[in-house]
Amino acid sequence: MRESFRQAMAWLHTWLGLTFGWLLFAMFLTGTLSYFKEEITHWAQPEVPVRALDTRAALEHAQAFMQGAASGASSWYIMPPNERRSGLEVMWPAPSEQGRAFISKQLDPATGQLLFVRETKGGDFFYRFHYELELSYPFGRWIASLAALAMLVTMISGIITHKKIFKEFFTFRPGKGQRSWLDGHNAVGVLALPFHLMITYSGLVIFMAMLLPATLFTVYKGAPAKFYQDVFPNAFPAPAKGEQAPMAPLSRIYDQAMAQWPGARFARVEVQNPGDRAARVVFYRHAGDRIAYLPGASLAFDGVTGQLLGSSGVDEGALLVGGGFYGLHMGQFANTAERWLYFIFGLGGTAMIGTGLVLWLSKRQLKYVRDPKPPIGLRWVATLNLASMAGLVLAVAGFFCANRLLPLELAGREDWEVQIFFFTWLAAFLHAALRQGQRRGWVEQLSLAAAQYAALPVLGLLFTGRGLPRAIAEGDWATAGVDLCALLVALLLAWLARKVASRATVQAAALRPARVMP
Amino acid sequence: MMLLGASLCYAGFSALCLAMDRHHQDLLGAKPGRQRQWILRWVGGVLLALALGLLIAKAGWAMGLVRGLAVAMASAGVLVALLPYWPRAALALAAGAVPAALVAGVY
Repeated sequence: MRESFRQAMAWLHTWLGLTFGWLLFAMFLTGTLSYFKEEITHWAQPEVPVRALDTRAALEHAQAFMQGAASGASSWYIMPPNERRSGLEVMWPAPSEQGRAFISKQLDPATGQLLFVRETKGGDFFYRFHYELELSYPFGRWIASLAALAMLVTMISGIITHKKIFKEFFTFRPGKGQRSWLDGHNAVGVLALPFHLMITYSGLVIFMAMLLPATLFTVYKGAPAKFYQDVFPNAFPAPAKGEQAPMAPLSRIYDQAMAQWPGARFARVEVQNPGDRAARVVFYRHAGDRIAYLPGASLAFDGVTGQLLGSSGVDEGALLVGGGFYGLHMGQFANTAERWLYFIFGLGGTAMIGTGLVLWLSKRQLKYVRDPKPPIGLRWVATLNLASMAGLVLAVAGFFCANRLLPLELAGREDWEVQIFFFTWLAAFLHAALRQGQRRGWVEQLSLAAAQYAALPVLGLLFTGRGLPRAIAEGDWATAGVDLCALLVALLLAWLARKVASRATVQAAALRPARVMP
Repeated sequence: MMLLGASLCYAGFSALCLAMDRHHQDLLGAKPGRQRQWILRWVGGVLLALALGLLIAKAGWAMGLVRGLAVAMASAGVLVALLPYWPRAALALAAGAVPAALVAGVY
């Protein structure tokens, strides 16, 4: 009975892991990159200067700019710079004939001058891809959620299948073929298990209102939108009075906000009905000020008198638990060391999925080692393994290279970057199919990816004003960090390619006499 | 503080690792006696609890628990990665971790 239960769980682990593994690998890798979302965006926008952090002055400049550029807008959104974001971004609703929701501009936080910044999604592309898969709402989120659920089931069935969690807790035996792959899969899964469980479960918690809306519908009697009014009371402005009134300076309101919440950082300042007597200014707290992510935490001020109207931040009960999981998933609270740990554990999760996919295949390929034409199913899995792993790494490199190489004036430039990502991935898939997922295909894709990553710092040096040496000299560690990591990744991929290539020759040599024999 | 916690966790996991027959045999050439095994288990457990306790005392329950788990996972990962390639270095690092943690704790 017990053993058959374990076998059933092993079956579940094997097949659910295979069917969702390819997608999950992409979600984990891009999600891991998202821990450095701001740094990647900063790297991708070398036109944004690095300035000494002065939130107060930045708000003054933003207000002056907006009063000129967006005086008639119904609301302003100001994203002041912080330790990880050097730019000052301002946004306002676009006139309806423009076909997009918002106009966004970047300002120099020290002078308030409008900056010309290349159009790019930067780190935001990976962040959004990892839960929306570039599909339209809500399909991407549903597919990503389904994959997360499959991940949770795969992990739990994997724990049940793994008989010797404690006995083999410290076991890793390299250089022993399949044994080593299994050891690696188990070690990275077990040692970072708290992270894997947290990240997968919290990913589902983030979408709870979409996945399990019944509670909201019941409690709010079929009007779930009211829930958001309860949680984010400051996000719903009163109607404008149609009466002009001069605005209080944002810098003064900022001083008051700081007096209210000493030491706070603010992610967003929202001005509702600017220039009107009903103007209201809302300061939204930065999510990194605590672990639990409570997006409604904010202070509202009268935009004309500058008086505090009220503070909002439901931080108790179920919302705190939900916000706790949300915050743990995003890791906004993390300092540099903690952020790197998040990144490394994320890579660990990616490696766990990757080693699992390799194991599925290599176990079954053993039977057909001497067969020149293994079953079509195995060839497909081999192809998809290659395209989903090496191919994705290649596509990410393509995205980064596109950021450096596409002409700055190109219309729809940021969409081109994304298209190049997918074209590269498609090309990698076709190449993988051509090579049938064989080792030669791995060597070729890994080598090409290594060359692309190695090229990134060179491209930065040639085509931007902020190459690696200058970034280091200026202490711009976000830009330097991405370039240096690209070099490190290039070395790692080249080493992997060499390793795969040396195995391929060993295998070919072992195969040759077998073909001669009858 | 994170480094101190990580050192204690690393030493703790090393002790728990040595408390297992196979690893003790691989690293030190013989199986541990019952008594030594018992001591190693206790030392390992106490070091891990100490690391977690220190981090919680320093940064509060929420941040302390998060940091404790993070450094525990990371240090176990380092140990398992070192063991097959540089077993001597893995042990030396464990032996050095506690005094280093003490020095770091004093300053």
